[in-house]
Amino acid sequence: MIHRIKDENGVTVVAFEGDVDLESSPEARRILLDCLGRTSSLLVDLSAVTYIDSSGIASLVESFQNARKAGRHFALVAVSGSVLSVLRLSRLDKVFTIYDTLEDGLARAG
Amino acid sequence: MAEQKPSQNRLPEGGNRVLDHLELAAVMGRDFAASLDIEDSLRRAVEHITRHLDAAGGALFLLDESGDHLRCHACFGATEITGLVLKSDEGIVGRCVQTNCAEMVRDVTRDRDFQKSVDEQTGYTTRSILCAPMSVKDRRIGAIELINKLGGDGTFSDADLHLLQALSSVAALAVINARMAEALVEQERLRRELELAAEIQRSLLPRRRPESFPVHGAYHPARIVSGDFYDFFPLDDGRICFNLGDVSGKGLNAALLMAKTASLYRCLGKTVHEPGRLLALLNGEICETATRGMFVTMVGGVYDPETGIVRLANAGHEPPLFHDRQGDFTPLPAEAPPLGILSLPAADGDFPETELRLDGGTLYVFTDGVTEGYADDGAPLEVEGLKALIRKNDSLTLAGRVDAVISCLKQGAEALRDDVTMLAIEDRRKGGNG
Repeated sequence: MIHRIKDENGVTVVAFEGDVDLESSPEARRILLDCLGRTSSLLVDLSAVTYIDSSGIASLVESFQNARKAGRHFALVAVSGSVLSVLRLSRLDKVFTIYDTLEDGLARAG
Repeated sequence: MAEQKPSQNRLPEGGNRVLDHLELAAVMGRDFAASLDIEDSLRRAVEHITRHLDAAGGALFLLDESGDHLRCHACFGATEITGLVLKSDEGIVGRCVQTNCAEMVRDVTRDRDFQKSVDEQTGYTTRSILCAPMSVKDRRIGAIELINKLGGDGTFSDADLHLLQALSSVAALAVINARMAEALVEQERLRRELELAAEIQRSLLPRRRPESFPVHGAYHPARIVSGDFYDFFPLDDGRICFNLGDVSGKGLNAALLMAKTASLYRCLGKTVHEPGRLLALLNGEICETATRGMFVTMVGGVYDPETGIVRLANAGHEPPLFHDRQGDFTPLPAEAPPLGILSLPAADGDFPETELRLDGGTLYVFTDGVTEGYADDGAPLEVEGLKALIRKNDSLTLAGRVDAVISCLKQGAEALRDDVTMLAIEDRRKGGNG
């Protein structure tokens, strides 16, 4: 898994690429929590994630829960097909705020 | 093999000197290899080195775990300073460790790093010091320090310095080996503890019922402990309460949450017979103590063997498959997210329930380890593969069909990546074809 972090007019965008699994999810968790500590609005770009397992989902859940407690904006954007089918199957699409594209996410986050 | 006496009693002369040095290194190496007590070996090594290099005293310092301090673990000769702790950059020994270079200080009074306080404590007067770092590549372990050359003109020579360097490396390797051996012992202890945890986990699973029982489950953990679980038990009215769940992640943290969830379900399931209500209660409990985003996907339900009706609720779990008496499969997708994520207010009520008439068919509930696993032909099983496997074993008993799926995945060429767990409920009423 690799990641990129960028700032879009005060909105932090973290983009993950590759597999977010048991091996890489602790790093994904650290990156997400670290970003949440420094921003009021976080978008997670999952367009290039090829595989996500339950430990990867747990990293997203923890960030979502922390953001909610701290009153911060947290959303997933441009979710890849394989991740989206996992989220839909487990009804997590009802839990997370999800935008089809990064542009949509930025427009709503601003 | 005959025991050889260490060489310290022999007087090294000329060409014999090199042989003598080699013999000392060999004695030290043998001593380290044979000893189970590294501290004892270090004490003997310091003694050998101090005698061999004809020094008044010798001391061996090791860095502590943080690397902030040096502690004297062994000494011999002039002064007894075992247990003395210095900062890792204090004194000549500290400098030697920091620079990772051996040093010869012929007159300590001219060296600003020399620590007078040690002499003040021991009452001994240090004149010269020879110090070599104990390190392997860039890994720093500590240093060996010798004080006051006894013979000759009373000063250490370059040859002494080179020899101490070589012997310090032997000691450094021995310390690294001993630490690795210790880590292995600790690993073995943890493995035994994990196996005890696994035993307790297995005790949480339902006991095997006779063939005539309409519910059967099986599981196989990918590691020692598992985040998967299933359970079923008869209620007083003859119905059977069942569940199957999967905790996010793997390892001990998942196993602990598994134990909590399974225990809560068994306790609540005896009095709360509505699956949607039960899952809502469980969700509230798990949310209260949830950490690190961990969650549980679960199918919980009640089966009535008299009517063949299953009532179930699915919290974010892989859709169970209903295999009807005509041979068709119907998935039952989740209608609510997993447990432990969102604490819903009581007003939002229970998790949605689904009612299913088995009508001679069988319901299969399983974890994603099954569909994401690899079959014995090396191909990923997936949902279609699972359906084919169930069809293929249609003539077997309920237990035979479930066990066939688990063993197909266990024998797959790929090592199990995930725990595999399956539970099946069959309509055994007369008129059904089960």
